[in-house]
Amino acid sequence: MDKLLRNKKAIVIFIAPAFILFTLVLFVPILQVIYYSLCEYGALTKPEFIGLDNYIELFTSDETMLTALKNSFFFMIFSVISQQIVGLFLAVLLTNIKKGRNFFKNIYYLPCVLSSAALGLLWAFMFNPKMGLNQILACIGIEGPMWLSETSGFITLPMWVIAFVALWQYVGQNMMLYMAQIMGISRDVYEASYIDGASPAKSFIYITLPLIKPMMITSISLNCIGSLKFFDLIYNMTQGGPNNTTHVLATHLYEQGFKYFKYGYSSAIAVVLLILCLLVTFIINKCIKVDTYEV
Amino acid sequence: MSEIKNLQDEKSISPVQVQKKNKKPISVAQILIYIFLSLLVVVYIFPLLWMINVSLKTNPEVFKSPFALPEVWQIGNYIFAWTVGKLGIATLNSVLVCTIALVVSLVFGAMAAFAIARMRWKFSQTVMSYFLVGMMIPIHCVLIPLFVRFSKLGMTNSLTGLVIPYIAFSLPLTIFLLVGFFKSMPGEMFEAACIDGCNIYQCFAKIALPLAKTGFFVSGLMTFVANWNELLLAMVFISDAQKKTLPVTLTYFVGPYATNYVQMFAAVIIAIAPSIIVYCLFSNQIVEGLTVGAVKG
Repeated sequence: MDKLLRNKKAIVIFIAPAFILFTLVLFVPILQVIYYSLCEYGALTKPEFIGLDNYIELFTSDETMLTALKNSFFFMIFSVISQQIVGLFLAVLLTNIKKGRNFFKNIYYLPCVLSSAALGLLWAFMFNPKMGLNQILACIGIEGPMWLSETSGFITLPMWVIAFVALWQYVGQNMMLYMAQIMGISRDVYEASYIDGASPAKSFIYITLPLIKPMMITSISLNCIGSLKFFDLIYNMTQGGPNNTTHVLATHLYEQGFKYFKYGYSSAIAVVLLILCLLVTFIINKCIKVDTYEV
Repeated sequence: MSEIKNLQDEKSISPVQVQKKNKKPISVAQILIYIFLSLLVVVYIFPLLWMINVSLKTNPEVFKSPFALPEVWQIGNYIFAWTVGKLGIATLNSVLVCTIALVVSLVFGAMAAFAIARMRWKFSQTVMSYFLVGMMIPIHCVLIPLFVRFSKLGMTNSLTGLVIPYIAFSLPLTIFLLVGFFKSMPGEMFEAACIDGCNIYQCFAKIALPLAKTGFFVSGLMTFVANWNELLLAMVFISDAQKKTLPVTLTYFVGPYATNYVQMFAAVIIAIAPSIIVYCLFSNQIVEGLTVGAVKG
């Protein structure tokens, strides 16, 4: 048996296809993107080494980059906070009802499996200045704002709108994660706390919250990385406009790389994005300590 | 009156009343919860219904009476969207790309996962962590090198060029999930098979694979949904209208001045109809599967 499992040839045969493909398509390009980010490189020129110039330009003279960074961070923080709270709230509500749980759950989860590209178009209509939501508001005599073309404010109105659409689309995911975890908690624990005189609020704070903590790491990491690489909704709702105020890192990267063909510059944005993703994952795993309980 | 009675019941609970309370189907709090949840259902379903309504009208009609049902059902919108948006070929492309990516990533992933989870070698943990790093890397980061490389190889603007990155990006999650499933299988089974004279390939194909059905379902579902909806890579790689996938086709209607909402929505509905139909048929399995995947991932 042992000999069978140490069969070197078999191991190589099993691992090789995935390993080679993964290395060629993911790992080598990562190294390349780091190299390109140090180069002046366009669609028609060969990469030419220029050191850190791309990064210096990125952080000192590129206003869109600063907007993109600001928006990406706003987006990440808003998504994490709102989706965690709403997702957990829905999960608690759904675990407390007896009938129709599956029905509600499936409805709320539906947008998660639909294409953001399609839903982006839908919401672009809903927030059109003359149609959609503003038509509803007009019925009750309110003149709605220009949802997707307002440019004032530190975080512009379109960013808020997009953030809420993202909440609408992805909250089902968090809800499901927390539901799975809450359903896993034994009923005995709640019954014991009930006999000891704990109110529902108390049993939520002292039982539910500590026991779903491990899921928080998963859910927050998914949220953070998901919102850092957010692209589809923004591209289909505003395309970074008006006046570049709704760019996030991914749309900025796409525009620099494939509209203006500044490969080197765009690679620098990609490296920033990569570092942010790794950093965020690292911080989350370090900061949230998981206590394991015997239940 | 009955509401007040319910409240009183909740306040003073003796064992007998607990019995009673369990029998009562719905309390005030429950009613409030149901009202809230139903309102939320409206928030989720209403935009979709409105979209269907709009897609069956003419443009002036949408302006004039946004909520009324269409006077004449404009089936023409759908025909226009289908032909101009080339949705037929796009659907076919999407199905083709996602299916190939699904099958290949499951096969490669299962092989690698089996070697990592079941076989004994020095670097199994290292290789595992190497694959896991891939889960944290967004596809955007490698977009430019991949595009440059693939255009040199003449593989942009072809479905092959799209399938390969999709497979590679599905691998980390597939491997991660399947390793979990392979590890949870009892080792005695492999020993027994070994005594009966199975070689390692037979162990893999005849024992490990059939037992990991759930694993295949879960990871397959996650990769399929992700690839089906993937926009950025497909948009960058494919410029030929005959080879576009569904999400890319929809961007044809994007733009600040796009006002042709009726036809756009017809296209959107055709594009998301397959997902919605499949979801309605298997919603419980899909939601469970995706959750299991995300929990473990």
